[in-house]
Amino acid sequence: MSSKTGTYLRGSEPLRKAEMTIRLSEFEIPPMQDALLVGKRAPIGPEAVRRMVDALSPEQYEIIRIEHQVFEAAVLKRSLLKLLPAEKLLPILLEECERVADEQAVVKAQVNITIQVSRAVDL
Amino acid sequence: MQTVGEIMTKELVTVKPEDSVAKVAKLMERTKIGGLPVVEGGRLVGIVTSRDIRRCHPNRLIADAMTREVVTVPHTCSLWEAKELLERHGIERLVVVDGDYPVGVVTRSLLYAELGKYIDALTGLHKAEFIQRKAMELLQDGKEIAIIFLDLDNFGAVDKKLGHVVGDEILCRVSKVLGDVVEEGFDYLFRYAGDEFAVVTVKPLEEARKLALRMVNAISEEKWPPGIKVAASAGVAGGRRASPRQGGFEPYTLSDLINMASLASTRAKKEGRQVVVAGEVELRETSCI
Repeated sequence: MSSKTGTYLRGSEPLRKAEMTIRLSEFEIPPMQDALLVGKRAPIGPEAVRRMVDALSPEQYEIIRIEHQVFEAAVLKRSLLKLLPAEKLLPILLEECERVADEQAVVKAQVNITIQVSRAVDL
Repeated sequence: MQTVGEIMTKELVTVKPEDSVAKVAKLMERTKIGGLPVVEGGRLVGIVTSRDIRRCHPNRLIADAMTREVVTVPHTCSLWEAKELLERHGIERLVVVDGDYPVGVVTRSLLYAELGKYIDALTGLHKAEFIQRKAMELLQDGKEIAIIFLDLDNFGAVDKKLGHVVGDEILCRVSKVLGDVVEEGFDYLFRYAGDEFAVVTVKPLEEARKLALRMVNAISEEKWPPGIKVAASAGVAGGRRASPRQGGFEPYTLSDLINMASLASTRAKKEGRQVVVAGEVELRETSCI
């Protein structure tokens, strides 16, 4: 027996069912990829980020507090900074991220750096 | 000299850096306290105010909401020093510390209520205690000071003839007249007692004499109500430190100067002069005890 309000068994008792969908994926370690920019009014601040990074990926990231109208801190992967120093990388990241984020956001960025070298040697 | 240690709130409510903003907001609401010291391992690491809380996401850690640069004072800090600090930094409370450890809090309202006891209710001028502190501070800074002691002439007769209400109105007006003559940052005016006023000034003795003369003249030249004549006599005494500073003697040197200026004003009154200068003295610490 069915009605507009549900399925009934033996008269008035409704039959309730639960449907379950499971999606499994690997938790990324570290979860913050190459760079993280922390908005001034984001749900987590630089100190919370520092504690998280220290716990999940000790000694792999550098936290830089910044004076900026949208963001108050940046977390940068140290291996990335070996390729490009923070003073070069950070202004570019900030410029791009402030276009898409506001003070409430924590922005995760994947950064691929390719270094092109061209050398000439005397023959 | 009263210190913050004597008036501070000793029952401290503190929070930890790892507390959440939401938790501390509830604590502030429950305790009705607008600013809490943040403590880690017993040491003071910051302060969080209701303003910080309002600006931050409730999920944040207090470590990300607090102010790290806390304005602190030792418990021996005088109330006036504490007041200057509060006003200079534009803050509402000072954390009282013993080394790195917080031992109390002094709020602006608590401090002002206490300092109000040192303000003369009638004239709004500081009472003698404040100027003694100011003069001691100036002496400790190695500055030369002069005391002007000003006494209204025959003021008891005004009280008797016109009543104390009129007498009080005149005292208020005298304080305003004198307040217009003194120079902020150089001269510190206070009501010593009854119809006696005094100024501590960092001006040299001759300048102090001229200031005393201007004060006496300003009172004489003021347009008083018909039938009332108000005049004053002043005494001036100046001093400079004779030997390098050693702590603990300043109250005596200041008392000496005040006494000399007071006696000079009595002499001025007796001799019918406007101002008498007691002279300049070297404030030898041996003669101050």
